[in-house]
Amino acid sequence: MDKKYGVYICTGCGIGDTLDMEALVDVPEEEGINCTTHPFLCSKEGVALIQKDVDDGKANALVIGACSRRVNFDAFKFDGCIVERVNLREGVVWPHSRETYPMLTEDQKDDEEHFDPIQMKAEDYIKMGMIRVEKVKLPEPFQTESFSKKILVLGGGVTGMSAALDAAKAGYEVTIVEKTDSLGGYAAQMRSQMPVTEPFEELQTPIVSELIAEVESFSNIDVKTATEVARIAGQPGEFTVTFKKPGEKTPFDVPFPLPEEMLLDEAGKELDAEAQHEKYLEYNKGKEDILQLDPDGSLYGAVVLAAGWRPDVLKGEAYAHLGIDLPDVVTNDEFEKMAAKGKIIKPSDGKEAKEVVFIQSPGKDEDDADFEYSGSVTSQVALKQARYVREDYPDGKAYIIYQHMRTPGLQEYFYKNMQQEDGVFMTKGAVTEVIQNGSKLAVTATNTLLGDNLAIKADMVVVASGMVPVTKDDPVVNLAYRQGPGFRDNDIFGQYADSNYICFPYETQRTGIYAAGAIRRAMTIEESMEDATGAALKAIQCIESANRGMAVHPRSGDMTYPEFFFQRCTQCKRCTVECPFGALDDDEKGTPKINPTRCRRCGTCMGACPERIISFADYTIDSIGSQVKAVGVPSEDDYDEPPFRFLALICENDAFPALDMVGMNRMDYSPNVRFIPVRCLGSVNTIWIKDALAQGMDGVILIGCKHGDDYQCHFMKGSELAEVRVQKIGDALTSLSLEQERVAFFEVAIDEYDKLPGIINTFVEEVEDLGPNPFKGF
Amino acid sequence: MTEKYLAQPDLDFIAQVRGLGGETLKKCYQCATCSVACPIAPEGSPFPRKEMIAASWGLKDKLVQSGDIWLCHQCGDCSDLCPRGAAPGDVLSAIRSIAITEYARPKCLAKAVNDPKKLPYLIGIPAIWFALLALITMTAGETMTKIFDVFGIAWSHAHEGAEHVIAQADFFSTWFVDLTFVPTATFVVIVFFLGLKRFITDIHQNAVLEGKTDKASLDYKELFQALIRILPTVLKHEKFTECDSNKDRATPHMMVLYSFIGLFIVTSIGFALLYVFQSPGPYSQLTPLKWLANISAVALVIGSGLMIKNRFDKKDDQLTTYKDWFILVIVFVLGLTGLLTEMARLAHMEYVSYFIYYLHLIAIFQLFAFLPFSKMAHLVYRLTAMAYAEYGNRK
Repeated sequence: MDKKYGVYICTGCGIGDTLDMEALVDVPEEEGINCTTHPFLCSKEGVALIQKDVDDGKANALVIGACSRRVNFDAFKFDGCIVERVNLREGVVWPHSRETYPMLTEDQKDDEEHFDPIQMKAEDYIKMGMIRVEKVKLPEPFQTESFSKKILVLGGGVTGMSAALDAAKAGYEVTIVEKTDSLGGYAAQMRSQMPVTEPFEELQTPIVSELIAEVESFSNIDVKTATEVARIAGQPGEFTVTFKKPGEKTPFDVPFPLPEEMLLDEAGKELDAEAQHEKYLEYNKGKEDILQLDPDGSLYGAVVLAAGWRPDVLKGEAYAHLGIDLPDVVTNDEFEKMAAKGKIIKPSDGKEAKEVVFIQSPGKDEDDADFEYSGSVTSQVALKQARYVREDYPDGKAYIIYQHMRTPGLQEYFYKNMQQEDGVFMTKGAVTEVIQNGSKLAVTATNTLLGDNLAIKADMVVVASGMVPVTKDDPVVNLAYRQGPGFRDNDIFGQYADSNYICFPYETQRTGIYAAGAIRRAMTIEESMEDATGAALKAIQCIESANRGMAVHPRSGDMTYPEFFFQRCTQCKRCTVECPFGALDDDEKGTPKINPTRCRRCGTCMGACPERIISFADYTIDSIGSQVKAVGVPSEDDYDEPPFRFLALICENDAFPALDMVGMNRMDYSPNVRFIPVRCLGSVNTIWIKDALAQGMDGVILIGCKHGDDYQCHFMKGSELAEVRVQKIGDALTSLSLEQERVAFFEVAIDEYDKLPGIINTFVEEVEDLGPNPFKGF
Repeated sequence: MTEKYLAQPDLDFIAQVRGLGGETLKKCYQCATCSVACPIAPEGSPFPRKEMIAASWGLKDKLVQSGDIWLCHQCGDCSDLCPRGAAPGDVLSAIRSIAITEYARPKCLAKAVNDPKKLPYLIGIPAIWFALLALITMTAGETMTKIFDVFGIAWSHAHEGAEHVIAQADFFSTWFVDLTFVPTATFVVIVFFLGLKRFITDIHQNAVLEGKTDKASLDYKELFQALIRILPTVLKHEKFTECDSNKDRATPHMMVLYSFIGLFIVTSIGFALLYVFQSPGPYSQLTPLKWLANISAVALVIGSGLMIKNRFDKKDDQLTTYKDWFILVIVFVLGLTGLLTEMARLAHMEYVSYFIYYLHLIAIFQLFAFLPFSKMAHLVYRLTAMAYAEYGNRK
C-alpha cells in the first residue's frame, strides 16, 4: 500500500476553544503532511471533506483528531484506508479545562518557565497518531486451506437435538454424535418435565419424543448413535474429526499431556525438554501426534458441546446424617426413575410411599449451601417430584425442606401452583438428621419457619443431588491441541465448560467450540433449549466469521491475526503455553504453528514473545513502541522545571471506556500522562515499558481488567499475565538503578471510572516524590 | 433448643379452613410483611406469619390451641399489604371459627351452627316451640292459671288496668319466656365454662411451648386480675382503633357492644322488677329504664346495620362468609324486631306487635342458644385470650 497521509482535526465540542489550533496544525505540517480543520468533522459535510481527499487519491492513511474512537466510528469509516482516531475530546479537552490550566500569554510562551500541559498532550497525541498510521498495514483476511460449514453437535439429549434443529433450520448441515444407542438423553427417562408453555402451572410429558421425531424429519441432520469423538483436530472452519465406538482404541485417540508428577525425575527435579518429550511419547504410545491429521476424518466448521450431565453420587461423612445408606433414602435421580416406572413405592418393602420428604441442602445447621452442582433446577425438580406424590396418592404428603427455593422466571407460576396443593408442605430449614424408625423414617430439621427442632415422619426421603457436568470426568471434546484435550482452568467454573458465564455465554475457552445446556450449569429443559439456540447461533457466527477471515469474538470482525517472523524464533514455547485459547500448537521442536481461526486476536502471544517476532497487521511491537517514542519528554534543556512524563498502557475493553467516561464527566487528572490503548494488557510487551523509561519518561502505569476467579478480562488471562510480567520487570529496573515503583499495575472495572483519576494521580504523585527519571535528556 | 415438635399435617383441617373463608391460606410464602404490618402483634414471635405457615401445613393443634389467633382483631392491615394475596386476616378468622367449634360441646350443635344447610332447623325448631307456647298462652290461660295455682304462683303477670293496654305477656307468657331462656342461659354458661377450662389450659400450654409467656404455671386469680386490667382497653376498643384498613369498623362494633351491655342491664332490672318487685311491664316511656332500653335498641340497630353495610361496601378486600352473615343478621333482626314490637305496641297495632314479638323471640333464641357455637363466642374467647396475654406478659 502506497500510503498518502492526511491529518484532519475537528474544532468542535470545545477542541478549538481550548487548544491553540495553529500550533496543533503546525505539528503535521512541519512534517510536510497536509492538515485540515473543520468545525464539525463528524457532520455530513465534514465526512464528505475527508471522503473527497480519499476519492481524489490524496489520502489513504488518515489521522482524525476529534472524539474518542469509541464514538462516531460509523461516521469515520473509510474503506481501504488506515484510520487512526486521536482522542482530543474525551482524552484532552474534556478532562482538562482552561480554568485549571490557563492558556499561556504571549510572553509566557517561550520563557522556558511556563508550559501548557493541555497543548502538549494534544500535540503528543497527534504525533503518536501520525507515527501509528505510518507503522501499520491494512489487514488481509486469512483463509483456511479447506472449509466446512457443517456443525458437529456432541450429545443427543434435549440440548443437542435442539441445537441441531436450530442450526438445521438455519440451513446448516449438522451431525449429532450420541454416545448411547439412542437419542433422548436424561429427559427420556423422566416421568414428566417442568412446564415450558403458558400458564406454566402443570407438569407436561417430556418433550423428547417430539424432538426425536423432528430431528428425524430433517434430511440435513445426520445422527450417529453409539459414537464418540476420538479427536477434534485443526481449527474452526476446518476441524478434522475422528469418530469411534465408545471405548474403542484408535490411533487417533487424542494424546494427553503429561500429568504434572511425570514432568519430574525421581529426585523431584524438573526434566529437561527432551526427556519430557520422550516421556510424553511413551505416555501416548500408539496415538498419533496432534499435528497429524486423520486422512479419514470428517470436516466440520464448528462444534456445539451439549454432552450434558450425570447425577452426582453422594457418599461419605458429609452426607451421613441424611441416612443416605438407608434403603428408603434416595436421590432425586433415583426417585425420578422410580416415578417413571409407575406408582411411587418404598424401595425397602414395596409398600406405598405416601409421605415423602425432599431435602434440598445437606449442610446441617452450619452451612446453608445446597448440594454441589445443584441450582434452581434441583429446587424445581423437588416441586415436580412433590407433584408425583400427590398424583399417585390423593392423601399423599410431600414435604420440601430447603435453604433456597429457586424458581426463576415463569417457573414462579409452577411454584405458586404447587404451594396451593393441600398436601405439599414447604419450609426453609436445616435438616439435622434422618434415621430409620420402625418402618418409617424420622427426619429432624432445625431453624425452620415452624420453629426449631421440627420432626417429620416419612415413608421416603429424597435428597437433591446435583447435576455434574460430564466435563468434570472427561474432556469430552478431545481436542488435538498442544495445551491438552479439554478446557483449561475449568476449576474456576466448578468444572463446567465455560469461559465467563456472564460476559460470554456459550463461548468456551476454545474458539469454535460452543457449550450449551447442563454442561454449562444446572439447567431445566426449558433453559437448555434456549441455551441450545444460543450455542447454535454462536457456531454459525463462528463459521461465517472464519469463512471471511474475521475474528468471531470478542473482537468480532477483526481481520488481523498473529504473524510470526520465524527466522528469529527460539522455540521457547511461551506463546503456545500462554495463549489463553490454545490457538497455537508447536511441533516437536517447539516451533509454533498458528491456527488463525482459533485465535481471538488478543495479542497475548505478542506480549509473551521475548524475541518480539509476533505481530498483527495493525498492531505491532514497533507500532506501539514508536508511539511511545513519539511522546515528547521535556528535559531541563527545555524548561527550568520540566514537567514529568508518564506512559499509561490501558486496556481498550474496560479501562479505556472508563477513561472516556472520566472525560465525559469532566473529571480532571494529571495531564502529564500519555495513554495508549492496547488490545489487552496481555499483549503488552515489556520492551515498551523499557523503551519509555529509557527515553526519560518518569513512570509507566498499566491499567486493565480485574483478574482472578471473578475475572472481567475479555481474554481471561491477559491482565493476570501482565501483572506477573510487571513484577518480573522490577529486577531489570533495579539493575538500571531505577525504582520499581516507577512501573505500576492497576485493575479497574468499567463501572469504576470515578476511581480512575484517583488511581492515576496517586501514581503520578508517588513517582514525583521519587524525582525525575535520571535518564531524562540523555 | 426447644422441645422437638412432630408436625402432623391434617389435610381435613386445610380443607376446613378453605371452606370457612380461608381459601387463600396456601398462598403465603413467609415474607412476614403481615407481622410487620400488624399494629397489634407483639414483638416477640409476632402473628400472623407463624400462624400462616402452620395453617398451610395443616397443623391444627398448633393453631386451635394458640391464644394468638384471638389477639388478632381482623382489622385487615395484613391482608391489604400481603404481596401474595394470602389474606392472613381471613385465614385467622377461619381458624378462629374452627377453634370455636373445637371448644364447644355438643359438637353436633357447633357444626350445625356453621352449616347453612342446617339453618332451617335452627330457625324452625324454636319457631315451632314459641308458636306452641304462644298458642298455650292465648288459648289456655285458665288451665294454666289452675296449674300455677297448685304451686301457689300467679300465672298472669298482668298488672292493674292491664285490660286497656297491649302487653306482650298477654300473647306470650312471661313465665314461658323465662322458662325457656333461663335454662338456655344456664346451658350456655355451662358450655362456655367447660370450653373455657380447656381453652385456658391449651393456650397456656401452647404459650409455654412456643416461648410466648414467662409464666410456667397457671394462676387463675392472677388471670382474673389481668382480665380486670384489660377491661378498659376492651371497652375503649383501643386495639381496634390501632388499625388502618378498617378503622371505620370500630364505631359500629362499639355501638353493638355497648347496646348489648345496656340491654343486659335492662333485662336484669326487668327481671328483678318482675320477680322481686312484682311490677310487670310494659313500663312508661318516661322511666330511665325505658330510656336506656330504647337508646340501646337504637344503637344496636344502627351499629349492626352499619356493620352489614361495611361488609357490603368492602366485598373485595374482606371476605364475608356464612358465619359472619349469620351473626350480623341475627343481631340486626334482634334489634329491629325489638324496636318494631315496641313501636307497634305504642301504635296500638296489637297483632302486628305480637307477630313481630314472635320473631323477636326467635332471634333472641338464636343469639343466646347458639352463643358458644357462633362467631359471637369471640366475646368470651378473645376476652380470655387478651386477659391471658396480659397475665402471661405477651410482649
